[in-house]
Amino acid sequence: MGDLLAVPRGWLESFGDIVKFTSRIVADVASLRVFKYFGETLRQAGILIVSSTLVIWGLVFIIGLQCGIEGAYFDQSTGTPAYAGVFAAWCDLRELVPLCFGYMMAAKVGTGIVAEIGSMRISDEIDALEVMGISGVTFLCATRLLGSMLVLPFVYLCSIGAGFFASYLAVVQQIGDVSSGGYFLIFWQFQNPPDVLFSLIKAMAMAVVIVLVGCYYGYNASGGPVGVGTATAKSMVFNIVSVHLIGMLGTQLFWGTNPRAPIGG
Amino acid sequence: MTFEATRPAPPPGATEAEYQYHSYKVYPSGARNVVEFDNTYKSFGRNQILRGLTMGLPEGMVSMILGPSGTGKSVCIKHMVGLLYPDSGDVRVQGKSVPNMPDDELFEMRKKFGLLFQDGALFSSMNLYDNVAFPLRQHTEKSEEEIESVVMRRLTEVGLGGSREKFPNELSGGMRKRAGFARALVLEPDILLFDEPDSGLDPVRTALLGELILEIHREMVEEARADGRPYLPTFAVVTHDIMSARRVADYINVLWRGRIVEAGPAQEMLNSDNPFIRQFLSGESDGPLSMD
Repeated sequence: MGDLLAVPRGWLESFGDIVKFTSRIVADVASLRVFKYFGETLRQAGILIVSSTLVIWGLVFIIGLQCGIEGAYFDQSTGTPAYAGVFAAWCDLRELVPLCFGYMMAAKVGTGIVAEIGSMRISDEIDALEVMGISGVTFLCATRLLGSMLVLPFVYLCSIGAGFFASYLAVVQQIGDVSSGGYFLIFWQFQNPPDVLFSLIKAMAMAVVIVLVGCYYGYNASGGPVGVGTATAKSMVFNIVSVHLIGMLGTQLFWGTNPRAPIGG
Repeated sequence: MTFEATRPAPPPGATEAEYQYHSYKVYPSGARNVVEFDNTYKSFGRNQILRGLTMGLPEGMVSMILGPSGTGKSVCIKHMVGLLYPDSGDVRVQGKSVPNMPDDELFEMRKKFGLLFQDGALFSSMNLYDNVAFPLRQHTEKSEEEIESVVMRRLTEVGLGGSREKFPNELSGGMRKRAGFARALVLEPDILLFDEPDSGLDPVRTALLGELILEIHREMVEEARADGRPYLPTFAVVTHDIMSARRVADYINVLWRGRIVEAGPAQEMLNSDNPFIRQFLSGESDGPLSMD
């Protein structure tokens, strides 16, 4: 019995450690202490823009194409091809764009943060920072969180645009069962401006968790290069599970009681 | 004259026989201690590293912390700068208790330190120039021209004036150490710590680095005296290289099994009749220290 309880107890302890550590990062941002290193924040924001935006947009564009194609052919088979815009409006905005954004954030940004900070940990670079009188948590983690918060809302809004554009291309230009005007009539009927805000909140919640978890696993990496690899893998698992949980909870919270389609039951 | 403390009991779980060569003698240095360990204990899991360590680093001197591998020398350095905290006991820097400092005070106190890590611990994302300029950019209001002047002076002193654009992965181990030395010097710290500066270096480069340490210490002490600073620069070198100790040390602490065996000015220690000290400082295989 003791052995059986040891595993969930270990998970709880790890979760507690993560919450405790990430609270320090959030506190550094909330207390504006991070602005002492605003140059580093801008550098991290720049790295994010240069190295991750195109990959994120690319993945979302492909998913937008798929969503459009599947929606168009499904509607064709039921004799309602004019309604293909519903899939783009709902599937893209509510589910697949946030999920794909979360996947790519976890795979590209989250693991990158673990690998970078973890390598700094095992090569004593973080200790060197601390000995210089610079808080490693503020300089390495809080700057990354703030940098992400500055950049990612715009990256995400553009991702939504990429997903919508791809679905439009697939439904109207490639398959062509519906005119451009007909497609947009249905497309805009099935979404409201607040839906964009809800989608943005979902994605930003995912992004913040991914950055914080990446910082935790990187900062606390130990055991040499193998330890950094293990930490990277653990962060990926944690982040993918978190992305799905946030996606599910966000959908229930924002659209669960929507009178048009009360998916919450 | 020797100050000999009342012989303390062996640490919990150890026998008197294990500590029979610990005479705990401390020969006077003639200077006040800027760093003091007071009955400090530190364990990692079941592995006890510091086991009641009482030790001091005298002001204005180049001190050596000597001892066999795995005896807690690097752990001592991490305690001095507050990267590790003792399980019990105290560590004081310029009279202030490090474990009891709030975070803000601790970060301020760390600015008094320079630390040369074993592999230099240079930031791999920055070139050599930016690495050395980093502490100045973070902690001073100097202009870029002033920073360049300080950085190039330090890089030239360590023989890396022509490598300013190189990244750490383009440097040899010895060059990384020298670059780390330059970075540790730029803020003109009161206390400069060297964690095994000779590891991985050939004997000639080890000797040259030792000379460089002495030369820079002499310069810094002269400058501190001229400026009337409250504390003279103190260097502490952690090593198990006996030749370095003979060449560089003003004061030697010999550490074994988490405690000081003996400590004192280099000449006194080199003439010590303690069997462990004699064996260690002469590098002989016969004596109390074995492979166990």
